[in-house]
Amino acid sequence: MRNFTAQQIMTGLAILLLLIFFPLVVRQSFSIHVMILVFMFAMLGVAWNIMGGYAGMYSFGQAAFFGIGAYTSSYLSIAYGVNPWIGLVAGGCAASLVAAAIGYPCSKLRGHYFAIASIAFAEIVRIVFNNWKAVGAAEGLSLSMKNESFANFLFNTSKLPYYYIMLVFLLISLAVSYFVATSKMGYYFRAIKESHQIAGSLGVDVVLYRLMAIMTSAFLSAMAGTFYAQYILYIDPGSVMLLATSIQIVLIAMLGGAGSIMGPVIGAAILIPSSEYTRVTLGYKGTGMDMVIYGLLITLISMYYPEGVWKLLARIGRKMK
Amino acid sequence: MMESRSFIKGFSVVLLSLFLVLMFFVSAQAEQKVIKIGAVYPLTGNIASTGIDCKRGVDLAVDIINGKYDLDLPLAKSEGLPNLGGAKIEIVYADTKGDPKNGMSEAERLITSEKVVAMIGAYQSAVTKTASQMTERLAIPYVCSDSSSPTLTERGFKYFFRVSPHDDIFARNQFQFLKDLEKKTGQKVQNVAVLYENTEFGSNAGRAYKKYAAEFGYNVVADITYAANATDVTSEVGKLIVSKPDVLMHASYITDAILFTKTFKDMGFQPKGIMTMAGYIEPGYLAAIKADGNFIIVRSTFALDLAKNKPLVGKVNELFKKKYGIDMSENAARSFMAPFVLAEAINRAKSTNPDAIVKALHETNIPGDQTIYPWEGIKFDPQTNQNIYARGTLVQILNQEYVTIWPFDSASKQVVWPFPAWKDRK
Amino acid sequence: MPDQLLQQIADGLLIGLMYSLVAIGLTLIWGVMNIVNFAHGDFLMLGMFTSFWLFTLYGIDPIFSIPVSFLCMFAMGTLIYRFIVSKVMKGPMLAQLVVTFGVSIFISNLAVYFWTPDFRLLPATILQGTWQIGGINLSVPKVAASFGSVIASVCVFLFLKRTKTGKAILATEMDRDAALLMGINTERINSLSFGIGAALVGVSGAFLSTYYYIYPQVGGLFGIIAFCVVALGGFGSIEGAFIAGILVGLAQTLGGFFFDPSYKYAIVFMIYLVTIWIKPQGLRGW
Repeated sequence: MRNFTAQQIMTGLAILLLLIFFPLVVRQSFSIHVMILVFMFAMLGVAWNIMGGYAGMYSFGQAAFFGIGAYTSSYLSIAYGVNPWIGLVAGGCAASLVAAAIGYPCSKLRGHYFAIASIAFAEIVRIVFNNWKAVGAAEGLSLSMKNESFANFLFNTSKLPYYYIMLVFLLISLAVSYFVATSKMGYYFRAIKESHQIAGSLGVDVVLYRLMAIMTSAFLSAMAGTFYAQYILYIDPGSVMLLATSIQIVLIAMLGGAGSIMGPVIGAAILIPSSEYTRVTLGYKGTGMDMVIYGLLITLISMYYPEGVWKLLARIGRKMK
Repeated sequence: MMESRSFIKGFSVVLLSLFLVLMFFVSAQAEQKVIKIGAVYPLTGNIASTGIDCKRGVDLAVDIINGKYDLDLPLAKSEGLPNLGGAKIEIVYADTKGDPKNGMSEAERLITSEKVVAMIGAYQSAVTKTASQMTERLAIPYVCSDSSSPTLTERGFKYFFRVSPHDDIFARNQFQFLKDLEKKTGQKVQNVAVLYENTEFGSNAGRAYKKYAAEFGYNVVADITYAANATDVTSEVGKLIVSKPDVLMHASYITDAILFTKTFKDMGFQPKGIMTMAGYIEPGYLAAIKADGNFIIVRSTFALDLAKNKPLVGKVNELFKKKYGIDMSENAARSFMAPFVLAEAINRAKSTNPDAIVKALHETNIPGDQTIYPWEGIKFDPQTNQNIYARGTLVQILNQEYVTIWPFDSASKQVVWPFPAWKDRK
Repeated sequence: MPDQLLQQIADGLLIGLMYSLVAIGLTLIWGVMNIVNFAHGDFLMLGMFTSFWLFTLYGIDPIFSIPVSFLCMFAMGTLIYRFIVSKVMKGPMLAQLVVTFGVSIFISNLAVYFWTPDFRLLPATILQGTWQIGGINLSVPKVAASFGSVIASVCVFLFLKRTKTGKAILATEMDRDAALLMGINTERINSLSFGIGAALVGVSGAFLSTYYYIYPQVGGLFGIIAFCVVALGGFGSIEGAFIAGILVGLAQTLGGFFFDPSYKYAIVFMIYLVTIWIKPQGLRGW
């Protein structure tokens, strides 16, 4: 389905315009921060989707790739003065290589086994980084606030550049996702997801395609990691390689609709603002009620809308005709 | 795959709800009769009990500043800030959940939406790092009295001030104690084992320990790090036992403090002394471990027995007990001071303008007896903005209470050394 | 040094047997329903809190409250299955993976809400102190927990192999469709297995509470390790979980002692990964 109807193109452009004008109209910096997080997590969800939703490899360890991206670009920047944009690409490559190295032996694993292996892998990465003195071990890395410029991927006076850069990253990842979904590669992914044996017997190089899915997913996640490092200016294993982050990414993709292109975007658009909002209004009392609601939400969604909001909206849309 | 009409409808629904949610963040204009100070703490999550403990200290401080109390603390005797027409302090809290990115975003939200004029917090050094990065960017003063990583005051920041001692000072204190002990009692120590949990706090402390061990001429026979939430620490304690140290220096949080103490007892690890940081002085530690905690030495900025030489401490604790039903803990005591320092500076500056506050902070010179700590006072180093008089003391757990044992001239009891054998206790 | 080596081996065995006990319940659920129960660690936490409150409010020592923990957690497991998990059994795999995450977050934060995040330790219980045997120290509560683990494993094993219901469970584990054809009510088996699985980990919580600190998030690390143990031993295999638990305990302790304690969990996860690559069904899996 490579062609869009005129209506779809118009709608897409309209929404894009809305997003472009949003920070100029709503000047609350916290709201802009929330939107930046939405874009970032949407990108991570889209990246996850490529290996999870499309190819059936449910990874609960994406934070490892996110963290490798963040660390690679930050370390290169601090130790060797490498420009963060170059570091961005380096981080993506590093993450892809690691993904290939771990993906190859894990490519035979299925479903639950793969999920647990991804958790084990991500935890190993986190422990290693936590003890690795050269990259700061537990103390992490702090990036300098000096010399703000686009070339340096650093902006102090305004959040807007970060907002637009992240939006562009998200669009790039959506484009990649679209390409994968509609190309022969995507077709093979879906075949592999359905059944390894059948796909293999049809001549599909299962291992190769699984590796491609994992590597693409890792590259995109690492890009988001570099963005995070340049935005927050401080990273440590406890903030960029957390299991909780990996889980959140899966939830976002599932909530929105795993296997659909826009699903993770919707998932992020719902989950991130609501968790930020509940933390701000309920969190300070210290009761944990915001997380109780979060857990309840996840449980209910898995039970009643497991295919995600995207399909739900499609169903509603059909009924409204 | 995509229904075009549902696409429009669906997306609009989502965007609309998104906007509605975000509109909530547009807050109403604040009234100007109060002076708002932002406070970022971990109020939910794994470390929430500590965050809430810190909040207790801050809230009591604000009560005292805003009310009229016959205490020798800055601004206690008047209601509010006299130079600003009795304006009251209001703390606006934000929950960081212990996540550095929330530290940053909450600091920003407090400044830009809630319009706070200064910031305090955040207990965890990693979170204080990002929160203060934001305040530095936005040129808002940040007075920290509860994060102990030395690196916080090594960044060359202009707007960040720290009142309390940092882990480098604490580590040095512990070695000074060993030298003093030798001078006083002739008990010699040669071998030191260093044990620390593996996040920012622990690894910085570990580094400081090793540095001072070398400087003071001690042998480091074991250098072990571990994860604070470990299920079991027999390997670590096993390694400690075979290294045969005279003294163990341990930087931990509360969970590992509990687990290690139990394991020390189970495995019969008993060096001549166990000297520790942080976790062992959390209120939950003694509540959990009870008599097994006896004879362990902890670094502290505050102990209830300071009241013997400083009645102010006793009076403040009385107020704390009246308000919360429990004694003041070290965390609450540390967080207690920041509001006073800020309020006193704002009062002197007669303004809430950030640069005026910073200038006033540079001129801060609060005498020691107007604080609840054993310090000469509060005065900030012009380069690093670290309080030059901040220092720690050492307390020892005796009969399940924290008793000041060092410096020897402010001690209320003599230190029990060496560490009595486990099997010799009741 | 040999003394300490023996000590480390002994402790490795003790913690390993505790892991086995935690893992047995998990492997049962996994084997029968093909569901990863990510809330397993939180069931452990609930078992610990049950023990704690029974002791604090009614003075009942953990040894005696074990049956209560068993029954409470059995009931909870069955309810969670009936009302939540059963609904996703027919759904996509992703939903099955995620639903127990939701339950996990819900339970642990509800615990924070009701019981605060404070850390608690049971004071003097009947199981106390250390035994000194041949130069090594054995913590009495840990030894008791190990005994409990052995007894529980044997009981479950016998239950599965010798009783009619047990055999029905095994049959469902082996081939669900065939079991259905044989007239086995697989829904009831599911519910029963979930309940027993929860009950077993509840019991391990009761034992753990005699020497470990209790708080709402305590399930985290134990849960992840339990997954590795189950996968290492082979999903659905009780004997596998038992042996794997011991292996993991030894690997963690000896690895930490000889190599570097800061990497000890990395060693555990590494062993899991290597095993799963070489023999994906685990040591004794289906």
